[in-house]
Amino acid sequence: MPPQNHQVQAKASPNSPSLPDFIMQHSNQQRCEDPSMSDYGIRMETLFKECNQACGTKSLLPCGSNDGIKIPNQENCQMGDTSQTGKLQDWDPSIMLENLSFLEDKIHQIRGLLHLIANKKGQQLGQPDEIITQEKQLITANLTSIIVQLISTAGSLLPSVKLAASNTSPSVGQHGQIPGITFPSGLGPSSSSIQPQHDIRDKISDQSNQIDLTNMCEMEQNHMEEHELKDEEDGDEGENLPPGSFEILQLEKEEILAPHTHFCTICGKGFKRDANLRMHMRGHGDEYKTPEALAKPNKESESEPKLIKRYSCPYPGCKRNKDHKKFQPLKTILCVKNHYKRTHCDKSYICSRCHTKKFSVMADLKTHEKHCGKDKWLCSCGTTFSRKDKLFGHIALFQGHTPAIPLDESKAPVGQADMEITENNNNNNNNKGGSINLSFGSNASSCENGIQNMMNVKGITDDPISYLSSLNFETCNFGEFNDFPRPPFEDTTKGSFPFLMSESFNYSPKCGGESCPNNLL
Amino acid sequence: MFSESVLRLLTEDLLVRVLEKLGSDADRKSWRLVCKEFLRIESLTRRKVRILRIEFLLGLLQTYCNIETLDLSVCPRIDDGAVSVMLSHGSLNWTKGLRRLVLCRATGLGYRGLGQLIRACPLLEAVDVSHCWVFGDREAAALSYATRLKELKMDKCLGVTDVGLASIAVGCSNLKSLSLKWCFEISNLGIDLLCKKCLDLEILDISYLKLTSESLKSIASLSKLEMLVMVGCSFVDDVGLRFLEKGCPHLKAIDVSRCDFVSSSALTSLVSGRSSLLQIDARYCFLELSFPLVECLKNLQNLTVIRIDAVQVSDLALQIIGTSCKSLLEIGLSKCIGVTNMGIMQLVSGCGKLKILNLTCCRFITDVAISAIAESCPHLICLMLESCDMVTEKSFYDLGSRCLLLEELDLTECSGINDRALKYLSRCSGLLTLKLGLCTNISDVGLAYIGCNFPKLAEIDLYRCVCIGDDGLAALASGCKELIKLNVSYCNRITDRGMEYISYLGELSELEMRGLVNITGMGISKVAVNCRRLADLDLKHCEKIGDPGCWAIAFYAHNLRQINLSYCAVSDVVLYLLMGKLKRLQEVKLVNVSEATVRGLELGLRASCGRIKKVKLQTSLSLLLSSEILDMLHLRGCKIRWD
Repeated sequence: MPPQNHQVQAKASPNSPSLPDFIMQHSNQQRCEDPSMSDYGIRMETLFKECNQACGTKSLLPCGSNDGIKIPNQENCQMGDTSQTGKLQDWDPSIMLENLSFLEDKIHQIRGLLHLIANKKGQQLGQPDEIITQEKQLITANLTSIIVQLISTAGSLLPSVKLAASNTSPSVGQHGQIPGITFPSGLGPSSSSIQPQHDIRDKISDQSNQIDLTNMCEMEQNHMEEHELKDEEDGDEGENLPPGSFEILQLEKEEILAPHTHFCTICGKGFKRDANLRMHMRGHGDEYKTPEALAKPNKESESEPKLIKRYSCPYPGCKRNKDHKKFQPLKTILCVKNHYKRTHCDKSYICSRCHTKKFSVMADLKTHEKHCGKDKWLCSCGTTFSRKDKLFGHIALFQGHTPAIPLDESKAPVGQADMEITENNNNNNNNKGGSINLSFGSNASSCENGIQNMMNVKGITDDPISYLSSLNFETCNFGEFNDFPRPPFEDTTKGSFPFLMSESFNYSPKCGGESCPNNLL
Repeated sequence: MFSESVLRLLTEDLLVRVLEKLGSDADRKSWRLVCKEFLRIESLTRRKVRILRIEFLLGLLQTYCNIETLDLSVCPRIDDGAVSVMLSHGSLNWTKGLRRLVLCRATGLGYRGLGQLIRACPLLEAVDVSHCWVFGDREAAALSYATRLKELKMDKCLGVTDVGLASIAVGCSNLKSLSLKWCFEISNLGIDLLCKKCLDLEILDISYLKLTSESLKSIASLSKLEMLVMVGCSFVDDVGLRFLEKGCPHLKAIDVSRCDFVSSSALTSLVSGRSSLLQIDARYCFLELSFPLVECLKNLQNLTVIRIDAVQVSDLALQIIGTSCKSLLEIGLSKCIGVTNMGIMQLVSGCGKLKILNLTCCRFITDVAISAIAESCPHLICLMLESCDMVTEKSFYDLGSRCLLLEELDLTECSGINDRALKYLSRCSGLLTLKLGLCTNISDVGLAYIGCNFPKLAEIDLYRCVCIGDDGLAALASGCKELIKLNVSYCNRITDRGMEYISYLGELSELEMRGLVNITGMGISKVAVNCRRLADLDLKHCEKIGDPGCWAIAFYAHNLRQINLSYCAVSDVVLYLLMGKLKRLQEVKLVNVSEATVRGLELGLRASCGRIKKVKLQTSLSLLLSSEILDMLHLRGCKIRWD
């Protein structure tokens, strides 16, 4: 089998990690009657094989045959072939079709599996928990792989998605999986932090997309820069190297703060990375395009055991300075740079959103700006948190700290409504003449008067007659009372409410009803 | 001359001592009316004030300056403005000693007012803000100013989240009792912080919260916890109970009712070995009372309360409970399956101290069981027998001759009850509550027995006792002068004459009279005029009451807090008057009020805005009422329920 297919197979297995286990454990329960399940792995393998072959044949790379491909070469070739990338980006419908039919098969398999499980559940309820969890795992693993493949299939179809996909993880997909690829340093650690799904996704898309990597060169360059900048200086916190087992280097302040370390001998342009310089050099002539020129220099010497290099901060008295009693060395040059800037330099980058937070490292500012304003979890001490549980952890830790509630959240709507109410109140008074203590307004000041009036009402006794007067019905225009059915009132109330008639209401229309509230009727 | 000599003999401290012996409000009122000296003594010694109307708030606070408890729960228009007036007028002596503040349903109050009030009262120890559904984190933060707070009840403060709870947990770290029932926004995080900050918690209610077992892990760390109520925590499972098993060494009461994922075995291992446990609530929780659980109950000699509603029980289980838990005071077997005469006999034979027994819907018990109860439990105070159809008058002969301490009897839908049964009960003269709903065999004769024999009766339910009429009410009203709560819904024979008898009940505060089609405005106006304490009136489907009746209510029943006028014929103006004039009105139901227009309703709502807390309207109005008025109601803390 060609080497590449080996790789594919190796990559395919994480696709369904629980499957073999599952089959083994359940074979005694006759759960593997479904033939499609047993050849699951094989199908996968063959599919990828086909896929690769298709890719291989399709790509117009100089190194045409499958077994001839050597990964570094391949990459180099690609890099040389920038002119053809446009064509290569095109997708092949037959591959798509195959991908889709594969997905379809897989969905069928899961469906069958679920049927099986469901039937079995009906038969025996008391199933051990572990079997159930395994079943669950299997189903989720399968579903995940389907989703991933679907995305990657779609990704190869849509140019924008593809761009994004290759933008976010090209280095990872290639780097993490394909041994022998030489990439500039600084990328290594990042690949491990990326979720394994990326690997799976890249399997299909990368095979067909690898080619356009060169196109992405510039983008990747930026990407790498960002990556590198974010590397933590304190990554070596737990390291305990015996003194003397490593070589201590100390860069000078100017060296550390210099923006570029690699300069083009022809045009003088500076670069942060040698790899980028090498890329740049290609523009200066064909001699720089050879694989030898583009390869990383001193590659062989890397395999030799070398004394580990550690770095010291040039700032005297710093804990990272080699003269410090409890000297803690820095791991890489990048760590030195970031450490020096963060600890010993002015914070000249100011956040454009909050205008308060300052940073000395650009990447830190960028990271902050991404989240600035989103930190809605605020402690009374002024610390903000992007996550609620972090805030609560903080509060639990410190005595007297409480979560702060931002003040201006609900004020505005209340005020607005207030206005409306008073407006309505006016309308009310003007149009309807009803003045039943309509003291609205929910802010204390406007409300106070009304309340005061209300609470200062003295001499309200249990006497209903005097109670009536509190309602200010004198001002009411019930001129239209004539229009109400009067007879029932008079009939039934004559006996029990004599005073009611005399005191509280003038049945005879007081004012002709020019402000007659039509809506009362 | 006489009064002078009396006063000379009775010094202030003697008067205070005499006053202490007076229990009821009515007696204290009489005391106040004796003379100015008596009034002064009363106002100096009074510890609790419950304000009914805001007009009197300032005056009463000045008079009663030594109060420890201020109850504003039934006072309308308690809002930020009212609070600032309260705190800026007159002397603030009353705030100095205030320890307990009841702000239940004070939905108009905002965080500013609440904060002012809380800060003004330095000794505040207990606050009740339950059912203030508009309360959120700001209000919770305002509550946290009360650093001495020991007791906080915030049921159904719907807006309070973990952040609010965190403020309280940090601010009031001396909390001993906290109820968070229905504060749906609170999650594990908040509870975890609470358990880290308030280590003195003794009582915690987390009913109906969306918490998982993770929270119980935190709660288990509360070493002083005595009572944990977690009704309807349907995300908590056995894992959570296992956490609890290891912690909370002083747990005395646990309530796992309606926790669907808590199993009987987990509860068994939680309660086993905790001989200090006094109370177990596991209503609607398991299907069956498992044998291991019963076995472990054997060791709980101190258990006083057990409620296991809707569980399948066996005679053997009941026997074991009866013989081993000798100190049981309350047993709840409501809707339990498998309760038989034999089971009850064996249960009660050992529980001589039993005071409360709930046998609701235990349909298979007969007179034999009741006789056994009467024989073994002479101290019985409350017996609930709803829907026990096979119980006949013979049971009541036994109850009436042995259980003379009975105070509460629920006989709803016991079709075996007749007038003679009520006669047999005549010796239970201490009866306070009697529920006879759907007992269609009761007639006026039975009511006459009630009127003669139960002078202390405070509550009677005659729902659909279709045979009773005006004469029965006459007898009831002449005998049971203390009646506070009366339900005569659908007793269609009652006419205006019966209403006149009801109006003699001076203490009456709740009257439900749905579907009394013979009552006119005349009848209800008598009640409105004479029953001065009437607070809750339900007139649904009283179609003949009409405008005149509502006029009377509007002008006389000014203590009314709740009214249901659904399906009544009320016109716009009367509705407007009613809503505007009833200053204490907090809850109105106005579904399908015929003769009232949309504009009339709007005007009525506007007139009562600020006081009203809850309105029920038919759904069709939701589109017809202007959104502006709906917003306004919402803003003033009023909730609208659409029917």
